[in-house]
Amino acid sequence: MKPVPDPAGSVAVSMEVNGRTVERTVNSRRLLADLLRDELRLTGTHLGCEHGVCGACTVLVDGQPVRSCLMLAVQADGCEVTTVEGITPKDGLSPMQQAFKDHHGLQCGFCTPGFLMTLAGVEPEDHPDEESVRELLAGNLCRCTGYEGIVDAVMAAWDRSR
Amino acid sequence: MTARPTHIGAQVARVEDDRLLSGGARFAADIALPGMVEAAFYRSPLPHARIVGVGAGDALEIPGAFGPFTAGDMTDVSPYPDFDEHARPVGIFPLARERVRYAGAPIAVMVADDRYRAEDACDLLDVDLDPLDPVVTTDAALAPGAPLLYPDWPDNVVIGFPVDNPDANAEFDGRMAVSGRYEVGRHTGVPMETRGVVAEFREGRLTVWSSTQFPHIARTMLSYCLPLDENDIRVIVPDVGGGFGVKAEFYPEEVTIPWLALRLGRPVRWIEDRREHLLATCHARDLVLDLEAAVDEDGRFRAVRGMAVQDLGAAEMYPFGYSPAFTAIGHITGPYRIPHQSVGLLAVATNKTPCGAYRGFGIPEATFAIERLMDKAADRLGIGRNEIRRRNLIGQGDIPYTTSAGAIVDSGSHREAFEETVRVTAERVEHWRAVLGDDPGIRVGSGVVNYIEGVTPTYFMTTGHWTAYDSCSVRVNPDGTAVVSVGVSTSGQGLESMLTTLTAEALGVRRDQVRVVMGDTDRTPYGLGSWGSRSTNVASGALRIASDRLLEKATRIAAHLLEASPEDIEAHDGALSVRGSPGASVTWQQVATAANIRTVDLPEGVEPGLEAAATYEPPGIEHVPDEYGRVNAAATYTNASHAAVVSVDTGTGQVRMLEYIVAHDCGTVINPQIVRGQVVGGVAQGIGGALLEQLHYDEWGNPQSTSFLDYHLPGATEIPTMQVLHFESPAPAMPWGAKGAGEAGIIGPGPAIAAAVEDALSGMGVAEITRTPITAPYVLSLLPTP
Repeated sequence: MKPVPDPAGSVAVSMEVNGRTVERTVNSRRLLADLLRDELRLTGTHLGCEHGVCGACTVLVDGQPVRSCLMLAVQADGCEVTTVEGITPKDGLSPMQQAFKDHHGLQCGFCTPGFLMTLAGVEPEDHPDEESVRELLAGNLCRCTGYEGIVDAVMAAWDRSR
Repeated sequence: MTARPTHIGAQVARVEDDRLLSGGARFAADIALPGMVEAAFYRSPLPHARIVGVGAGDALEIPGAFGPFTAGDMTDVSPYPDFDEHARPVGIFPLARERVRYAGAPIAVMVADDRYRAEDACDLLDVDLDPLDPVVTTDAALAPGAPLLYPDWPDNVVIGFPVDNPDANAEFDGRMAVSGRYEVGRHTGVPMETRGVVAEFREGRLTVWSSTQFPHIARTMLSYCLPLDENDIRVIVPDVGGGFGVKAEFYPEEVTIPWLALRLGRPVRWIEDRREHLLATCHARDLVLDLEAAVDEDGRFRAVRGMAVQDLGAAEMYPFGYSPAFTAIGHITGPYRIPHQSVGLLAVATNKTPCGAYRGFGIPEATFAIERLMDKAADRLGIGRNEIRRRNLIGQGDIPYTTSAGAIVDSGSHREAFEETVRVTAERVEHWRAVLGDDPGIRVGSGVVNYIEGVTPTYFMTTGHWTAYDSCSVRVNPDGTAVVSVGVSTSGQGLESMLTTLTAEALGVRRDQVRVVMGDTDRTPYGLGSWGSRSTNVASGALRIASDRLLEKATRIAAHLLEASPEDIEAHDGALSVRGSPGASVTWQQVATAANIRTVDLPEGVEPGLEAAATYEPPGIEHVPDEYGRVNAAATYTNASHAAVVSVDTGTGQVRMLEYIVAHDCGTVINPQIVRGQVVGGVAQGIGGALLEQLHYDEWGNPQSTSFLDYHLPGATEIPTMQVLHFESPAPAMPWGAKGAGEAGIIGPGPAIAAAVEDALSGMGVAEITRTPITAPYVLSLLPTP
């Protein structure tokens, strides 16, 4: 008979999410993605595979793109977390979001927040041409667009000619 | 017609995008209701077994866990009706009864306060399964004495459709026969959003949020399975993260979760994880086409005959998993003048995940077979591969052309698209050969293929129940804004944008005055949902009829208000004006206020209100084939020519996509950006199926592709730059001349890439490529051993 799981109890965490301080007591095994989605109701972060491949759940932790399905909520204690809600201006869209819209860089939109967060966490000058942009985007999967509109959007938002 | 500016063909931003970009969309997994519990399924770990017993084990030690619930608890649930009298009855039941027939089949369900605990509880169940011999291939399934998946059946054949057409056979007398056995492997849609169902039973009413492509069909099916009237059921489709056909099946979880909500009196949520998705959402393709062609010495094909054998998996899928194979037979001659065909079907049950719908729906399989056969015939006769197509393609003079499968091709640019693709491809091959230089280990090749795609098909051969129509209602509010509600339902393609554009076009309202309602059975008229590249055709047809009725009334009201004649009124840009007198104009708000509020302003004989409803079934669709399988099953036919340019590393067998060229004709283009996005996205999925994606099983029927580590989706570095060349041959019988564009792109890559790889390796004595995916080991195996 398998042992009955006994998650090692709950842990108090404090983090800054989209600029607001959040204090919660979370189960130690709870994923950061589930804390964001189910407890903070920041449902713009999506779960596409829950094993770190598809990138839909990408958020920024202390400015770096991180898969929130591979990180425990307790590991984000003391960190700054940014989600797609946090990069969206109060009115309208950010330049990158607008570029996705202009270049048809999304269809169903499920993977889109993950792409946006990956892009929000990198320096454009580290990805100077289309090949390096595609390399950057290769960690996020999209099943609708064939990536064309996404690559076009990034190249436009970063003022690259093609 | 007036010469006023048109919205058709204008590139305008999608109305869906802002919410999707900002995190404001709401998908099934985003729904949370007070008191909600979460469900997790215990799924069979074995491909074939008898269920001896399901006990709670230690599961109830998990705090808050309920269950297990099994088929035995569902005494008030009816199995799915079996609607196809020609197929063996499957009697699908939401949870397995007595036997499991594939690894992943749901046996029991547990609920708890969150998914972590529900999954813990499933892990602790005490389930006793008695293994049975698995049936893993169609050959094994058809062998004498094979274990039976359904003990009441005499064999493992779900449906057989033998065809023996003497007219086709006669063409083989005295002619060269070219034959091959072509296999499109098992892969599937894999939307980035898995499936999800949330259900609530409150005040005697069941509300179900489901990531389905057909909410009204789902509601009807629920009424068949649960002890509820359709009136007591509301199905809502939230934002859906891609469907691609796999969400146009009615799944066991779509009954089980609502049933749990009824049983528990609490809202229940189930969100599929990716492992479940790869095990329990329908698989697709897995079709072998044995095909033989009678060919004249000059390369003209006179007939094809053969057999399609589909590995259907466990057959517990509705709508029918074998319907794509019938569609393959219906498209087997492609856009070629091949006067006769005789192609039958055998759909065989095995202990694998049931097959179902996936974008392309049989047409990629047919196209792979006929295009490979055309290449083979060209090589055998010493005719160029492009030249043999030139000799067989239908041309403008042939249209309307009835194919040997009964499809009536009403329009198209078959030769024009092909010649343009050939021309562009030749240039690009030159370019790539120059770029890649003369490394003997890297060889460049190309292949050009053609196809037609029946769009807006009948659903009768796929469901045995529903047919082909859809519906629309249009209402103008007192302030002049228009509400359009439709029976089709989006899963991310941009249908809201398409309908917004067409409503503005039809009524002369501004785009920002239009609100589209879809995906809610309480707020939309009955319709069949979105699949089969149908939504643009059926929704626009119903919209056109409803809009014309509404506009006629609005015109009478406007004429009365303007003291003009109705014949002189035209609607444009939110106003109704007297033609030629720009000053004589009323807004839609003035007209709608008269109709809805100040009815004292209405002309005599005009009734209050400003709304209209219509249904529409495109003309010419046949629902039942003849004895040879001939049927005009679709409203109209798109055409395209595809070309792949690849490099092949002769040392590793690695195929690299260099560029992809598509000449595409879906009739009138409503929004060029959306059409291009559909084509490019479809091609990308087709490239995945051609090179990477494979749902692999071991020899005992154990699934080996259960995560994205084992099932490789193409990424941004694997999809090449594409050139899309647009042709527009409007469908004569369709409103606005449009033809659905949703599926087309996926059809060409398999045979185009196969031909390109062979071309790259020409002169090396390479064997014919006869199957997908074309993996590096497969390519290496084709090369002669040094």
